[in-house]
Amino acid sequence: MEFKGLSFSYDQGRAFMEELEGRIEKHKITTIIGPNGCGKSTLLSLLARGQKQTAGAITLDGKDIHSYKAKDFARKIAMVNQTNHISEDMTVQELIQFGRIPYKKIWKQDNEEDTDAIEWALACTKLHDFKDTPVSALSGGQRQRVWIALALAQKTEILFLDEPTTYLDIYHQLELLSLIKELNTVHGITIVMVLHDMNQALRYSDLVIVMKDGAIKAYGRPEQVITQEKIKEIYDVHIVVNEDDETGLYIVPLSI
Amino acid sequence: MNKKIISFIIVIMALIGITVYSAAKGSISVSLMTLVNGVLHGNNEEVNVIVDLRFPRIIVALLTGAILAVSGVLFQSVMRNPLADAGIMGISAGASFFTLFGLLFLPTLFISSTLFAFLGGAVSCFIIYMLSWKSGLKPLRVILTGIAVSAMFTGLREALINICAYFNITVGASNASNLTMKTWEDVELIVPLGLIGILLALLVSPWCNLLKLQDKKVVQLGVNIQLVRIIISVIAVFLASVATSIAGIIIFAGLIIPHISRQLVGTNHHILIPFSALAGAFLILTADTFGRLLIAPLEIPASTIMAVIGGPFLIFLLRKGDKLNGV
Repeated sequence: MEFKGLSFSYDQGRAFMEELEGRIEKHKITTIIGPNGCGKSTLLSLLARGQKQTAGAITLDGKDIHSYKAKDFARKIAMVNQTNHISEDMTVQELIQFGRIPYKKIWKQDNEEDTDAIEWALACTKLHDFKDTPVSALSGGQRQRVWIALALAQKTEILFLDEPTTYLDIYHQLELLSLIKELNTVHGITIVMVLHDMNQALRYSDLVIVMKDGAIKAYGRPEQVITQEKIKEIYDVHIVVNEDDETGLYIVPLSI
Repeated sequence: MNKKIISFIIVIMALIGITVYSAAKGSISVSLMTLVNGVLHGNNEEVNVIVDLRFPRIIVALLTGAILAVSGVLFQSVMRNPLADAGIMGISAGASFFTLFGLLFLPTLFISSTLFAFLGGAVSCFIIYMLSWKSGLKPLRVILTGIAVSAMFTGLREALINICAYFNITVGASNASNLTMKTWEDVELIVPLGLIGILLALLVSPWCNLLKLQDKKVVQLGVNIQLVRIIISVIAVFLASVATSIAGIIIFAGLIIPHISRQLVGTNHHILIPFSALAGAFLILTADTFGRLLIAPLEIPASTIMAVIGGPFLIFLLRKGDKLNGV
């Protein structure tokens, strides 16, 4: 997946993003980091067709993403939003079944392929025991897994996650990130996610995009991109980057 | 046996019960045996009168209730608003005004009254969408807009009636809502149109389920959400208009029934829609039957009874406010 000359502005106002260029490598985990309001989520949303760029092109498998039919595109890229809301008494299984909508007419019954995909999504996210539980009765961590399962049921090659760990405690953050890692290593799903935590970005990504003020400031392997100088430049925060046999690279923020 | 099946059995039994009771009781009262025999053999004078006069009224009441309840379910789903109801939102008032308008100026076609009702309902619905879209169809805003739309069309209707009175044109009773004096002609109109509408509602019930998700999620699943919204809205307006053009404005039925039905059978629209239809039919026929019998030979219109029950119910819903996010 590639993007070129990508510009975006809200309501015909001043350009928020100008001339962004980059690529998403297949079968890798790419993480987008950057300060608040830098355009991380907007970039993700543009790549997922959530919004339309004002200029430039995004191509997926050599085809402009806006030339895909809506359903075809939903078979290529699935998205897990930052905030998800469901106020009803829907069960986990009923919710995950929506992931099959890109594959069929809505009043058709699930066929074998659909059932398999749903089973697989349940298995990946370890939600089998909860499939008949109402979503509203689940904990935050479980609920986030349900939304991932819904995206997995779409059986896409690419999975986008917008700040998937934001509302979770440290245990569930780790649980979720290892799930994401597993989806990538075991099932070869290309992952693009927005994260806030630099240590998580270091540990779980193959490639990192660093953004600031609507521009891409750095792109590369985590250890190349998350350095003392770069972080000072972008976040205006002093950090130290240490390496440890047990933990690998990690950062400690020192002062502002 | 689970709660859903029990709820279905109870509502079906209640529906049969009230239908028989309603048929047997009134200014002419007969026993159940006489009624059944008379209907089967057609040799009882009293029963023949009942079949001619009371049966159409019962059928129209049943259909009206079912239609209004289903229309309420659709409106609540498509606007994601538990307070949406054709009556409250002024859809019925729009339909009613346009029906009268059609009767006055194009009285030749009987079907045209339904067509005009549909136009009026669509205009109301459109105004509500226009005025509350930007705020994300916030429940309270939709309701307030609806009250304004409703007041406007009710006023226009009154004005039209007054003008007609001045020119000595009679346009029927000023009380818009009425289930009395229904004939087999009304039945022939409301049965096919109502059933088509309810069938269409069942057909779009998977979409109603889908709309429980956020808009952006629906779009991410490759669904054209605007098209889905328009189709469901059109069906909901069609249903409300059919009911209004034949039975007048009955407020709150589309609010109370879906709400109670959700408590009983859950929010899956495959089940919710048929259940609401049955429960709505029961409610309106019950209201009409008691309205007819309570102070006989005088009558209380079903719509009046519904307003009396529905008002407190709406207050009750508003009291639970925080659950309805934004009310």
